[in-house]
Amino acid sequence: MAEANHLRQFLLLVFVLLLPCFALWTVSSGPLAVPAIGFVNSVLTAWLPQIVDTLYVDGQRALLMTRFGETGGTLIPLSEASEQLGFPVNPSVLSYSLPFYTALHFATQRDNYLNTWIIGVLVLYPLMALGLLSVCLKTLMVGLGRALFQQPDAWVPDPNLIGLLYQVNVLLVPTLAPVMIWLWQSRETPLLRNMLRFTQVAGDPPAAT
Amino acid sequence: MTRFILVFTLVLLALFTVEMLVPVQTHVIVPFTGALATLSAALVTPFDPSVVAFGKVLQFSDTGFAVSIEAGCNGVEATIVLIAAVVAFPASWLQRVAAILLGFVAIQALNLVRIISLFYLGNWNMDFFSWIHLYLWPTLIMLDVLIFFVLYLRYLAKRPLPATAHG
Repeated sequence: MAEANHLRQFLLLVFVLLLPCFALWTVSSGPLAVPAIGFVNSVLTAWLPQIVDTLYVDGQRALLMTRFGETGGTLIPLSEASEQLGFPVNPSVLSYSLPFYTALHFATQRDNYLNTWIIGVLVLYPLMALGLLSVCLKTLMVGLGRALFQQPDAWVPDPNLIGLLYQVNVLLVPTLAPVMIWLWQSRETPLLRNMLRFTQVAGDPPAAT
Repeated sequence: MTRFILVFTLVLLALFTVEMLVPVQTHVIVPFTGALATLSAALVTPFDPSVVAFGKVLQFSDTGFAVSIEAGCNGVEATIVLIAAVVAFPASWLQRVAAILLGFVAIQALNLVRIISLFYLGNWNMDFFSWIHLYLWPTLIMLDVLIFFVLYLRYLAKRPLPATAHG
């Protein structure tokens, strides 16, 4: 019966915590995305120096500035252009994994809240960066077309692979990663211990049972 | 737990790849998404006759505001996550199939609420629509999957382990 209480407590708290967690995230989503934006900027400018000028924070969004200009719908080198071609990128479609994970984490009764939460957040950030990289590649593919794939000195993924990476990293990972991290970190909590103990017995080889 | 995560990841990636294939999109995903739009309209029109559906689009006939249900909004990805989790977890195949069918109903029921609520939200305020569409509803749908899976685990934990559960 104690297990049922833990489940009720989790269900109640997770919905209660979602509201403040998402509210806090909404007002701070710009600064929260800075580490991921900085990392992806370093990767893109080193990987595609003839394509990407910079990726920088612009309020709640990021701006992906290219080394191209545009006239009459045609790409031209930046040196010949009066304006630089750039694309807005929304890092919030990735960083909302943070309030979701935070609500799951603090809704679960456990011995240590803060240390494990920090570890979870540190795991989420590289996934956010990977997602942001996928978003930028997809944005460049749509915005620049063939120019992206005509890089003599750099390997650029196939368009299908860019599409698949985008789908996985934007549609799945931001909601799935918090759940997986929570599940792993909560495997010894009163909420999940009994259920997972059953699984370990069932999944173990006979000698271990 | 490690075995669960490995099997879960493999099944997830396999099903997600299958979902992305053009024939699957053409013959399964697009018709299913269209059916969701039709069902949403069928649920709403008795109360609001200004709503019409064509293909995967829901539209207000008076204001002209419309939403198109796209990949990622049809609950298929959430269902794939649930299938992968249920398959990766030791249980009899009967229990697994029952869980997948019930879970599919639970996900799609909430997804219909999502589609209808977003349709009305968008007609009212696009800023709210964008925020709730992009961030809140995906979270709630995944939470739906998680809660269903935890309830399934709880159900399994209360039952004796069947002989076929080691597969």
